[in-house]
Amino acid sequence: MSEHPTTSWKSLQDGKGFYRRQQLYSLQGKLPDLGDYVISGCRYGGPLAIMRDNSKLVAIGRAAPAFGKSQIQVYSSAGEGLLLFSWDQSRIIRFGWTLNERLVVLNEEGVYRVYDLQGDYQQYSLGSEASEMGVIDARIYENGLVALTGSLALLEVKGWEGARPMTLANPNLADPPISWSIIPPDSNISRHVEVLLSVENTIYTVDNLESTDQRLSQGPFTHVSPSPNGKLLALLNAAGTLLVISSDFQRRMAEFDTLNVPSAHGNVKQVEWCGNDATLVIWESLAVIVGPFAETLEYYYVGNVFAVTEPDGVRIFGADVCDLIQRVPDSTLSIFRPGSTSPAAILYDAWESFSQRSPKADESIRSIRPELATAVDGCVDAAGQEWEPYWQRRLLNAAKFGQGFLDFYNPTDFITMGQTLKVLNAVRFYEVGIPLTYSQYSYTSPTHLISRLTSRNEHLLALRISTFLSIKPDAVLKHWASAKILKSRPVASGTGKDAELDGDDEVCRLIVDKFKQLGGVDVSYAEIAKRAWEVGRTGLATKLLDHEKRASDQVPLLLSMKEDRLALQKAVDSGDTDLAYQVLLHLHKHLALGSFFRLIEDGGERLAPASRLLQVYAREQDRDMLRDFYYSDDRRVESAVLALDEASRMVDPSGRITTVKSAQKFFSEDKDRSFEAKMMDESARLLALQQQLEAESDGKISFFGQSVNETIRRCIVNGMLKKADKIKSDFKVSDKRFWYTKLHALTEIRDFEGLDAFSRSKRSPIGYEVFVHYLVEKGYKKEAVAYVARCDAPKRADLYAECDEWRMAGKECKDRGDKAKLEQLRKKCPNSLVARELELLVASMK
Amino acid sequence: MSTEDIQDSEPPLDTNIFKEISKKALVDALNSVNGSKTLVLDPSLAGPLGLVTEVALLKHHGVDKMFWLEAGPLSSNTTNIVYLCRPMIKYVRIISGHIKRHAKESSKHNYTLLLVPRLSSLVSRLLEEEGVLGDITISAYNLQFLPIADDVLSLEYESAFKDIWVDGDESVVYDSAQALITLQKLFGLFPRLLGKGDHAARLINLLTTYLPQTSNPDTLFEPSTIFDSLIVIDRRVDMITPLLTQLTYEGLIDEVIGVRNSHVELPASLVNPPAPQAGVAAAPPPAPTSSTSLRKENRKKYHLTSTDPLFTELRDLNFSNIGKRLNGVAHKLEEDYKRNHSDLHSKTTAQLREVVGRIGGLQSEHQSLRIHTGISELLDPITRTEQFNKSLEIQQNLLASYNVSEQVSSIEEMIAQGADLEMVIRLLCLASITTGGIKAKALENIKRDFLQTYGYNFLPLLLSLAAPSLAILLPNPLPPSTPPEVTAFKYPFVPLRKSLRLLIDDNLEALDEVENDISFVYSGYAPISVRLVQCVAQKGGVLSNPAEKEKTSEQNKGSFGGKVQAHPIVGWKGFEDILATIPGKTVDIMQNAIGAAAPLGAIAQHKVKTTTSVVFFLGGCTYTEIAALRWVARQNRGRNIIIATTGIINGTNIVDGLAGIQKTITGTKDAGI
Repeated sequence: MSEHPTTSWKSLQDGKGFYRRQQLYSLQGKLPDLGDYVISGCRYGGPLAIMRDNSKLVAIGRAAPAFGKSQIQVYSSAGEGLLLFSWDQSRIIRFGWTLNERLVVLNEEGVYRVYDLQGDYQQYSLGSEASEMGVIDARIYENGLVALTGSLALLEVKGWEGARPMTLANPNLADPPISWSIIPPDSNISRHVEVLLSVENTIYTVDNLESTDQRLSQGPFTHVSPSPNGKLLALLNAAGTLLVISSDFQRRMAEFDTLNVPSAHGNVKQVEWCGNDATLVIWESLAVIVGPFAETLEYYYVGNVFAVTEPDGVRIFGADVCDLIQRVPDSTLSIFRPGSTSPAAILYDAWESFSQRSPKADESIRSIRPELATAVDGCVDAAGQEWEPYWQRRLLNAAKFGQGFLDFYNPTDFITMGQTLKVLNAVRFYEVGIPLTYSQYSYTSPTHLISRLTSRNEHLLALRISTFLSIKPDAVLKHWASAKILKSRPVASGTGKDAELDGDDEVCRLIVDKFKQLGGVDVSYAEIAKRAWEVGRTGLATKLLDHEKRASDQVPLLLSMKEDRLALQKAVDSGDTDLAYQVLLHLHKHLALGSFFRLIEDGGERLAPASRLLQVYAREQDRDMLRDFYYSDDRRVESAVLALDEASRMVDPSGRITTVKSAQKFFSEDKDRSFEAKMMDESARLLALQQQLEAESDGKISFFGQSVNETIRRCIVNGMLKKADKIKSDFKVSDKRFWYTKLHALTEIRDFEGLDAFSRSKRSPIGYEVFVHYLVEKGYKKEAVAYVARCDAPKRADLYAECDEWRMAGKECKDRGDKAKLEQLRKKCPNSLVARELELLVASMK
Repeated sequence: MSTEDIQDSEPPLDTNIFKEISKKALVDALNSVNGSKTLVLDPSLAGPLGLVTEVALLKHHGVDKMFWLEAGPLSSNTTNIVYLCRPMIKYVRIISGHIKRHAKESSKHNYTLLLVPRLSSLVSRLLEEEGVLGDITISAYNLQFLPIADDVLSLEYESAFKDIWVDGDESVVYDSAQALITLQKLFGLFPRLLGKGDHAARLINLLTTYLPQTSNPDTLFEPSTIFDSLIVIDRRVDMITPLLTQLTYEGLIDEVIGVRNSHVELPASLVNPPAPQAGVAAAPPPAPTSSTSLRKENRKKYHLTSTDPLFTELRDLNFSNIGKRLNGVAHKLEEDYKRNHSDLHSKTTAQLREVVGRIGGLQSEHQSLRIHTGISELLDPITRTEQFNKSLEIQQNLLASYNVSEQVSSIEEMIAQGADLEMVIRLLCLASITTGGIKAKALENIKRDFLQTYGYNFLPLLLSLAAPSLAILLPNPLPPSTPPEVTAFKYPFVPLRKSLRLLIDDNLEALDEVENDISFVYSGYAPISVRLVQCVAQKGGVLSNPAEKEKTSEQNKGSFGGKVQAHPIVGWKGFEDILATIPGKTVDIMQNAIGAAAPLGAIAQHKVKTTTSVVFFLGGCTYTEIAALRWVARQNRGRNIIIATTGIINGTNIVDGLAGIQKTITGTKDAGI
């Protein structure tokens, strides 16, 4: 049985506030002497990062060996070493932790790296100004940092994705501040970072807009420390007075003279906060809590002490222990405070009586009947605040006991608490070493905890917790796969090339199987493959990528892996032409033209869509490239068509002829294209002829670029009949076509004599009906009549009718004795005059 | 569609939802740019946008002025300039030209580029190369299916056919897949996917494999209870149909005048009533005799909409019946007027009010009758021209494989007469497909005549028609060097004519009475594409004539039970052999929701409920095919058909697209939708 919770309690002098000191871990000899190191602790039970403090002398022979180079070590709260790496860049200015437990290390040149707990890092820079002026100090908070440059300007970086640094308002300092601190954006009213600079006797507050002198007179302040919620400031001045004021500098809360602490020796090491309502002053071997009304509580330690402020307390690292000091939570206080008569206390008491089979239990329960629900809630809550599973269980049992007397009680809180405590106890285990309190857990969320576990490579635990809490295992699986790839590396590169391939297959299969087994549907293989590629395992990356179904994710990675053909293949297969273009344009930019073409041509049928897309693009945008492409692939026909297309856009006649000739040449190089070659030859000849015709007509008539028919027509229209005949014979224009053309042309210029002469030049190959129809259509009915006589006899009557020559039509019928036709005409005729005449004719035919 | 039809079938899904979605997306996109803005519009988008919104709505959302996206300077007095265009390279060049010019003139603007239908890395890359990427905000305006009639959804891509089969740019296939996924997101998964043709197979492949992963799996749920299947027909599978002259009313309007985005350009005098007192009998001035003068007159756009009941009645009729139908309507209208007139003498004000209310309806009916009479008068002379009839004759003869060599020489004759280029090409391709290639020697002569008549610059057109991807104008026998895919694509027209019953004896009486087969749309020829749909959705219709059977059964049973219950979708069953002979892949896939097996009950359920089959034409469809599918849908109880397409096509605009002939878009620099 663990000792009663109250044994670790201490009350402030006035007896109202209780603080408890919970030993979290025993660190016997696990950490080096903290006094020799620069230390940064991560909140929410996170690890400590320590680096040898070069300003301190080290006695030879002490535990830690001396290093020439800077070296940073990371320990968990339980003193387990998590990471050790050396720093090969220029002097480290400061290091600190991000929200998701990554260590940010900033050097004097303004370069900072963000390390994860596996030692992988991303490197970013604060920009050229910082690197020129140098960085003299910085403050790192969970979501960003503020750096003080050599020119005493302040630079802010938000987030850890390498955002561009922004300059804050210039405080116009003459000297570096004596000390300084920041209030992070999310605990500030303005939601922007606020910098507190201790200058001379006062404090300057600086944000991105302005720098304000707060006109304090008690400075200079050697320590400036904002409370976790950013509402209060603890200031320690050179005279040893600790001031607690509101962060808007309006109210002074407490004042305490640190010189009055009798057992303190030497200088104040740290001013921190214990939760949001008490400050903590650290000396060597001593931590003093200063309450809201300047009451104190003293805690003694062996050796040097380092404190990490938590939102609900403070973690203190001594030489041999790691403690959590916090104000006793209200629910715990109401149960365990000596003489407490709160319902929860009575319920707990009742349960104890019950378990001892004492009838007192019933009486107690009765007495708190109206407040039983509150009492149960109180017990559940208090269970969450306890560190020892023994007491957690007892309190939960009490709650369960109380529940039994309630008719309606929603057990969700109870169940959640049970689950949560199970998780918390698991991660508090010293091998894991995350001393997370219940309220910290509630604040940071379970997924945050899982990501912390995965970053420690505690995949199994993380997976079990996520299953236990029904959270999707995707994040864990992804991290596991990445880690697996990293870890499997030495095995794979065992003996020769084959061994490596086997290794790749093995790892790939392992990963895929695991994903399938756990149903991690949403895990993107592309991301894992990217990781594999980053560590140089291209083969594995390719294999993993094969399992990626989203082409849009696959392709960019394949491109950066220089798997050009595969990238193009996948893009084409996806059917997404935009993706294919993306790849094509990328390759066009990065490959030599020759190898770019070869890549596409060698792809054969499978890459044909890509090849066609390239042609579509190039036809609009890059014709030279297209010409090269066709040329390199011996595509004569396409080359010719391209040349023709160009010719059609040309204005300069001789250029156009040359281009058509080049098309002709391309066609002639392909034995199956002799027809096309012949046509292009004709085309070039025609163009030359047209040029000549234009010259002969002094440029008055435009011929150039017209078709053969049109050229003939224009010749006829302009009276160049000889030329027209010549074109006919030169281009072997068929008689029929020539006659139609000439008929149309002569009608157009109303040269009916010419038409007549033409019609008599020889027997018409198209007949004479066409003449009649065409002339009638164009409205020259009178002129048409002449041709009717030359048409076939049976049709004449109708043709005459068409020309509105009813009388002649009638006569025609009469001549042929076609009475039926005559009747028909009579029915159609336009007026009675004609009708009568026709009737007469009909009559005469009897 | 008679009223009886409407009653016994549940209404198909509401296609207007797509209009609303597109409208909202447009408004959101416009509102994302604060303040008044100048809208610069891709002319090819004006039509589709006109189906979505009207100018007033744009003005309401801060559009100050609108311009076409064209080369040349752009002056704008608003700070915000919004470009709305398809991701085409030429537009990028124009836009960057504008930006650079403005920079030179140091006029400051905020540029926003809305790409339709999605972002394009090509565009960003080009803008980057031009050095203006930093000045412009790029986002997407996802314009997908637009309802162009109650049962027709179109993506309104004009160049889909050329993109796929000439350029090999498959963006359209991908975009279509995206649009179909949107459809599935709204109404559930298609339980069965059927397709014919290589690109149809590709589209279905995209639908089933790649795309579901890209969207959140939660949104793709169970098989739809509304849909029973998706039938994808690849235009390449049936090239014959678009080559023929459409003979339905709407189809003929498209052939002769041209319909763009459901709008037809008519002489202004026809659209605006010439004089209010003109009665029904007073016909508009005699229609111009030749098509040339038809093009010259001042023109005005007229929306052919399914909200016009007269048009809904007329659009799918064979043109030969239009005159009669119009006549009937005119008579009815006249009677109604007369009745109202006599009613006007009635005593009570209540009666009077009823009459006056009726007159309003009559007037709109009157207006629409006037327009349609006008349109048919425009069409009529053209259907009487020698060329038109000659081309019809050649078409019919080729379809019947009657005296092929004579048809070829007729085509030659038409070239000599200088007939329309498009018509000549259509006939030539038709001859090549139906006969398995034109005799090599004859073809060469025709090609030569063609080039000499229309210009040598059309040689690339001939080449692309013969290219393996299209292969619709080929010599016979094929030269030995022909790539194997061309020989594989040889179209088995003659066997199909028999097995799919493509030619129906053109019996005039049948045409006049009930149109009893889909072949009415081409006066005796049934479109292959629609026959293929029938293979899935109305198997009986392929084999024999359900209408005729119905007639006999009606006589036996009296007036009861006119229509047959639609059979469930069982894929291509029964027609596998025929499908195998047609070139191109055949697809038939059951699609279940992720992890859920199709319960047996669901199949039984389909029998009772009215379901909807979606027919998607990849590469466009003709109005005749729409008419034929509507006919198919009317024959059965319990199955509606929704037609989705990449766009409306006809032979002429296919040829124009291939030849790169740009039909001028009327419009000034100031764009008006």
